[in-house]
Amino acid sequence: MQHTFASKEGPLEVTLVREGEAFVLEGHRLTPHTRGRLHVQMRDGRRCLAHVAKVGDVWWIHLSGRTYRWERVEPGASNAEDEGGLVAPMPGKVLEVLVKEGDVVEAGTPLMVLEAMKMEHRIVAAADGTVVSVHFAAGDQVAQGAVLLELD
Amino acid sequence: MLRACKEAGHPTVAVCAPNDVGTLFTEMADEVVVLEGETIGETYLNQPQILQAASTTGATAIHPGFGFLSERADFARAVKEAGLTWIGPSAEAIEKMGDKMTARQTMRAAGVPVIPGEEVEEEDERKALEALRQASTRVGYPLLLKASSGGGGKGMRAVHDPADFDQAATGARREAVAAFGDGRIYIERLLSGSKHIEIQVLADTHGRTIHLGERECSVQRRHQKVFEEAPGPTMDVELREAMGQAAVAAAQAVDYVGAGTVEFLLAPTGEFFFLEMNTRIQVEHPVTELVTGVDIVREQLRIARGEPMSCGPLLIRGHAIEVRLYAEDAANGFLPSIGPLSLFRPPEGPGIRLDTGVREGDEVTPNYDPMLAKLIVWAPSRPEALEKMRRALDEFVVLGTTTNIEFLRDLCDAQPVVDGTTTTTTIDDLWPNGWNPPHAPMLEEASLLAAASAETLGLHRRNTTTSSDNTHGPASPFTTIQRRFP
Repeated sequence: MQHTFASKEGPLEVTLVREGEAFVLEGHRLTPHTRGRLHVQMRDGRRCLAHVAKVGDVWWIHLSGRTYRWERVEPGASNAEDEGGLVAPMPGKVLEVLVKEGDVVEAGTPLMVLEAMKMEHRIVAAADGTVVSVHFAAGDQVAQGAVLLELD
Repeated sequence: MLRACKEAGHPTVAVCAPNDVGTLFTEMADEVVVLEGETIGETYLNQPQILQAASTTGATAIHPGFGFLSERADFARAVKEAGLTWIGPSAEAIEKMGDKMTARQTMRAAGVPVIPGEEVEEEDERKALEALRQASTRVGYPLLLKASSGGGGKGMRAVHDPADFDQAATGARREAVAAFGDGRIYIERLLSGSKHIEIQVLADTHGRTIHLGERECSVQRRHQKVFEEAPGPTMDVELREAMGQAAVAAAQAVDYVGAGTVEFLLAPTGEFFFLEMNTRIQVEHPVTELVTGVDIVREQLRIARGEPMSCGPLLIRGHAIEVRLYAEDAANGFLPSIGPLSLFRPPEGPGIRLDTGVREGDEVTPNYDPMLAKLIVWAPSRPEALEKMRRALDEFVVLGTTTNIEFLRDLCDAQPVVDGTTTTTTIDDLWPNGWNPPHAPMLEEASLLAAASAETLGLHRRNTTTSSDNTHGPASPFTTIQRRFP
């Protein structure tokens, strides 16, 4: 039983070992019970109940007071995220665009002001660069994850 | 509010915007009126439409809750003119306290100490900025810019360096205009190292004005409270009485009636200064209820009916803590998050209270405030209340939407919180470069095991949301997608 999950370090291959009813990984042992309840016995002997829910491709796991998210990826799928793109951290409205194409900016320069839930959020340059393109104007609504501007 | 009305035997009508149909509060009320319109201005802030709903349903009183129209004097007046009872203070009291500049002047006159600062009464943007710039040099840095109509941290900016002043003032002004339609800004000296202490007051129409002790709400992020407790961990009887009397004097200065909160800054020197008065019930009122045994909303109803309040002498018992559960990503600058509440399992047990507006299966949308619920605990002592809060947060399961639960849990272990030495800058002091969840490699591995096992077992086909099991009402699109692409 092999699954691949996304992680910051790249795709993470997980191979489960089945022992009777239980699944084992790195010495941690999970026993499924009725109605989807999952009992986990960790390598250090601690026992806890895992709550799980899947939203889209992401498994949300609650375990011992902590919540983890694991996005399942099909093996071989590539990460298409644009490098240098500045994306909207939440859905909202563009209040102000502070730069234009061709502007040379330093790290920390405010580029755009967004409003969501009546609060203002500044989009700032993470590194020095040149503004290659600006995709939205003041007044535009943006979705979470929308690429707002691109720096080279 | 709906529960208090039910206990008092008053039938209730809820009004809601079309995108709130089916939410918890609409189902708890005896009747619901769906307001027409899409924006908040067309619905929850639309006074004629709300008054029309009251008239159509035969309602005799309006409780404004908190937020929206709760501190709008014109609405309080309109309700009275429509022949209805307004569950709150008079329009005049709201006006005097609602405009923060007027409030500061009224308090100075009543002998209540206010934070050193300057008000700028100037409508024209360019002139106002110039006047503010000049005032800033007299007030001194660091300073706070605040909107005269402000609240909830909106239109507020801390400025530490004169070089940042213009940008901060422009931003504060714009935020104030957007949120309140009033761009007037005043300046206060930023009293660092201060505690936010507020006093709950109650006043009835029989001439009685009392205080119910203090709440400490110092722990804030972006000027919004996240952790509130009663009594204040550093308060003593003398200080409580002094601040209580100042709060009562503040309320009496505006002929206050109903429940209200007088907010103070308590400086490290032990001096306290009036911040503002909230002329409504507050989000954090439950901690006062738990330690005093007073149901503040029930008292609001009694007072609005013209009856005397039922409270006896002030008696503070044990310790209560409230945390605010927000749909936000604490590890990413506390940005609001959205998503389904696929699993929403609050903690249980003695001494635990949950005030929530959501249930499992609901969707968190960007339309309104990101606060999902308030978790409140009571225990005989402060250390025990903290222990209970830690346990309760560990037990709280919310899956499908990122929340601040782990941040709140981490906060319960932070030294200033354990010691009770929190100030309004505690969060920034503790995590100057932003908060990140404590590393727990063992749990992370075990969570990966759970994810892979759940995938193998196909749990997403039957265990994603409990709402997917319901046979009444339309299926959520999320469920449909899961069924189509198992």
